[in-house]
Amino acid sequence: MSAAAGMGGGVRSVPAKLAGWRMTVLALALIALFGGLAVRALYLQGFQTGFLQRKGNSFSKKELVIPAQRGRITDRHGEALAISTPQFQIFVTPRGMQPSPAQFTQLARLLDLSEAALKKMLDGAEGEFLTIKPRVLPEIADRIVALRISGLEVQRHYRRHYPDADVTSQLLGFNNVDDQGQEGMELAQNAWLAGKQGMRRVIVDNKRNIIDEAGAGRPPQEGRDLALSIDRKLQHLVFRELKAAVEANKAKAGGAVVLDARTGEVLALANWPAFDPNQRDVVPKDRARNRTLTDVFEPGSTLKPFTVAAALEAGLVRPDSMLQTAPGSMTINGATIHDAHVYGALTVEQVIQKSSNVGAAKMALMLPPETMWQMLSRSGFGTPPRTGFPGEVGGRLRPWKTWRPIEQATMAYGHGISVNLVQLARAYTIFATDGELKPASLLKTGGEVAGQPVISAASARAVRKMLEAAVSPGGTAPKAQVAGYRVAGKTGTAHKLAGKGYAPHNYVSSFVGFAPVSSPRLIVAVMIDDPAGGQHYGGTVAAPVFSRITDAALRALNVPHDAPLDNVILPAPEEPPVMEDV
Amino acid sequence: MLSLRNPPRRGEPQLLASYDPALMWVTLILLTVGVVMVYSASIATAEAARFTGYRSTYFLTRHGAFVLLGVAAAAAVVQIPMRLWQRAAPYLFVAGVVLLVAVLIPGIGRDVNGSRRWISFFAINLQPSELMKVFAVLYAADYTARKAGDMQSITRGFLPMFGVFLVVGYLLLREPDFGAFFVTCCIALGVLFLGGLNAKLFAALGVLLPAAFTVLIVISPYRMQRIVAFLDPWSDPFGKGYQLSHSLIAFGRGEWLGAGLGASVEKLFYLPEAHTDFILAVIAEELGFAGVLVVVALFAWLVWRAFMIGRQAGRLGRAFPALVAQGIGVWLAVQTLINMGVNMGVLPTKGLTLPLLSYGGSGIIANCLAIGLLLRIDFENRQLLRGYVV
Repeated sequence: MSAAAGMGGGVRSVPAKLAGWRMTVLALALIALFGGLAVRALYLQGFQTGFLQRKGNSFSKKELVIPAQRGRITDRHGEALAISTPQFQIFVTPRGMQPSPAQFTQLARLLDLSEAALKKMLDGAEGEFLTIKPRVLPEIADRIVALRISGLEVQRHYRRHYPDADVTSQLLGFNNVDDQGQEGMELAQNAWLAGKQGMRRVIVDNKRNIIDEAGAGRPPQEGRDLALSIDRKLQHLVFRELKAAVEANKAKAGGAVVLDARTGEVLALANWPAFDPNQRDVVPKDRARNRTLTDVFEPGSTLKPFTVAAALEAGLVRPDSMLQTAPGSMTINGATIHDAHVYGALTVEQVIQKSSNVGAAKMALMLPPETMWQMLSRSGFGTPPRTGFPGEVGGRLRPWKTWRPIEQATMAYGHGISVNLVQLARAYTIFATDGELKPASLLKTGGEVAGQPVISAASARAVRKMLEAAVSPGGTAPKAQVAGYRVAGKTGTAHKLAGKGYAPHNYVSSFVGFAPVSSPRLIVAVMIDDPAGGQHYGGTVAAPVFSRITDAALRALNVPHDAPLDNVILPAPEEPPVMEDV
Repeated sequence: MLSLRNPPRRGEPQLLASYDPALMWVTLILLTVGVVMVYSASIATAEAARFTGYRSTYFLTRHGAFVLLGVAAAAAVVQIPMRLWQRAAPYLFVAGVVLLVAVLIPGIGRDVNGSRRWISFFAINLQPSELMKVFAVLYAADYTARKAGDMQSITRGFLPMFGVFLVVGYLLLREPDFGAFFVTCCIALGVLFLGGLNAKLFAALGVLLPAAFTVLIVISPYRMQRIVAFLDPWSDPFGKGYQLSHSLIAFGRGEWLGAGLGASVEKLFYLPEAHTDFILAVIAEELGFAGVLVVVALFAWLVWRAFMIGRQAGRLGRAFPALVAQGIGVWLAVQTLINMGVNMGVLPTKGLTLPLLSYGGSGIIANCLAIGLLLRIDFENRQLLRGYVV
């Protein structure tokens, strides 16, 4: 091989030295390793597929939630108080979208954006999910879908809307971002209202773009509608009057409740201050609270009718029994209770009409503590009203065995006991009916609702008469009168609790009453917390609110008049008004 | 004497082609599979990346251009006689070393993710370590062929070569490019072994080198991490074991016949380097065990053919071409085995591409140069068998 010989210095002796066995061994070893890899691939792809695919699915198989439409909340006549409307989120997947110039122009117009602004948005978020618009209307969404731009996605979700905004805010509550109730009736009835989310199984890439469907999902199950006992018209009216009263009296807060006297249904329930649940980035705690159910206060004189009812039931007094209230004060175990005026001898009826603390205390002290406790307890005090509202409280009614005489005496006129406004309004059903306590309900109930008999019909009528006297010109609340209707009710003014004692100049003013007296339809309770406008008596602060609400409500409900339209007689200006004591 | 076995006769059909068509076709098939799979593997990442201008064909067009350039380079290499290659071998080797030094100089070498592996050359990024593999084969073959008589001597046969590769190895580790370092070492040792280096010395090296590699791995925390991750990728599938676990998942999804071309899920941002180091995983997922088996078989055939061409050259008394062919066989075998082993989770993760298939300009061109050399050696073998002088 002359050719090989010419190539280089060391080549000549090589042919013999290139040992064939070395090459054979090396080549075979390498080929064997290729065989080994083939076996490994066979193992992975033939026998390990289940395990590996399971591992893979843990990354790429996702279950997507399909939101369910939440049921509507309506008032008793089917008017919407809370509705979920489908909304469409427009977003770009991380792969970005590739619209044609014409599609781009149309998209910008549908989104109500300038082309420059849209372009800037898209440039700002490469390789990420970009929400271009969180909410667009269904018809706009349909048109965007129809553009068929790849990489642009439209996702349906629901937005809760409360047409009455702050009017129903604390009553209805609100939901969290997952459409689950957080407060109020939304929370209380969540199981009923919330539908069941549907589910979609998909394969996604590592940027969460959906590549493919992966098996059957589950369609969403829509929530059910809920009818509340609320009358939307009344609710607006009550809210408006309450808000005006709280503001006019420079009060801290206020609450008002209207009950159907026959069924115990809550026809209106308002609080002020309130909030707009449609725009609730931050809901201040003190505005979110439904004070009429979750807060308690010492009711003051609004409790006196129960003391009287207990004494009547026990046969200890009759409506015309005389009680000596002179000298307008009374000392028990070293503690003294006062009346605002020295009235002298009063009938039981007058004790209510003039709101005499001494008279009420004397009646209370005639009663065994257990009897008085039973009267209060059976009227619903000390236990929550069981409306199902989240966070409703029962107030404090201490067990009778621990009562000292002074405590029993002050409890007679609503001190040393606490209630919430709904509880107090509901307790008055025993006077508005012939002695039956009706269950309070926030949900619409069908027809007559049986109550729990608490006092006799005779006692109920007797107290009703006294309560009507209380709103007469000689009573504590002539301002509660309503033109064309006979009304009955009782004022309450109590010092607010501060620390261990009472605050000297902070009051809770209240009024609870019902109308028309000839056949009671509505119970209205009003509570004004800490009025600072110069007036603090229930008769001057809360009674006018009661009057306005009752007046408008009875007319709105077309309740027939039971009095001439000129029935309202206010005391002459020079005559000193009858003031209840505190 | 060999010409007697198969005498060419005038007027009769030629029994032997003048070149090896099978080698050429296997190479072209592998290159074509590479183009298709690089496109499939990169389509989603290219479409989503800013630097590609969101063009799904970004990697396809580049890879296609590299392949054409590589085929042209191979065609050019085939024209050059082996004796010229042997004469150029030392100079090419020195040029390679110069490039390896240059890549380490800031301003010339481009720093990507903490390694300096590329030299920016106008629009082209050159990866010197890929070309160095070709030059290492040529140089080792030339050295061994020249020093054939000294192969039993440690001082005259082994140590000079050892010294030279110590320098090259050092430069490669400075980049760092452990994969290229390992392949280059294997080329040098393989050629020395085939060239008849003292067997006892090899036995000693067989003990010492694994120890040295182990030390290199243990002293470098990131290499150590890769080893640990490879032993149990499922212990940390979101961290250290991420890449390997997704490669294995791709194999598992592929099953026997694959999910179908283009249907890989793992390439959709799960598997990093899907179009470079982990292209076999994408092949496994889309084309299944069948596809993997074909690719493995084609590579095995290619390696086997390189050794056979080398053996024939040896039998024809041509030491340099013989060692070049076998050195190329060692190179392609080692790099392919490591890349596939990594993809299948039997070797720790290393930055080595799959020859002829993976995306990467320097790699493709270096591989094509090697195939060109094989075709040339085989061509010269055939010429000699016909009695021609080359």
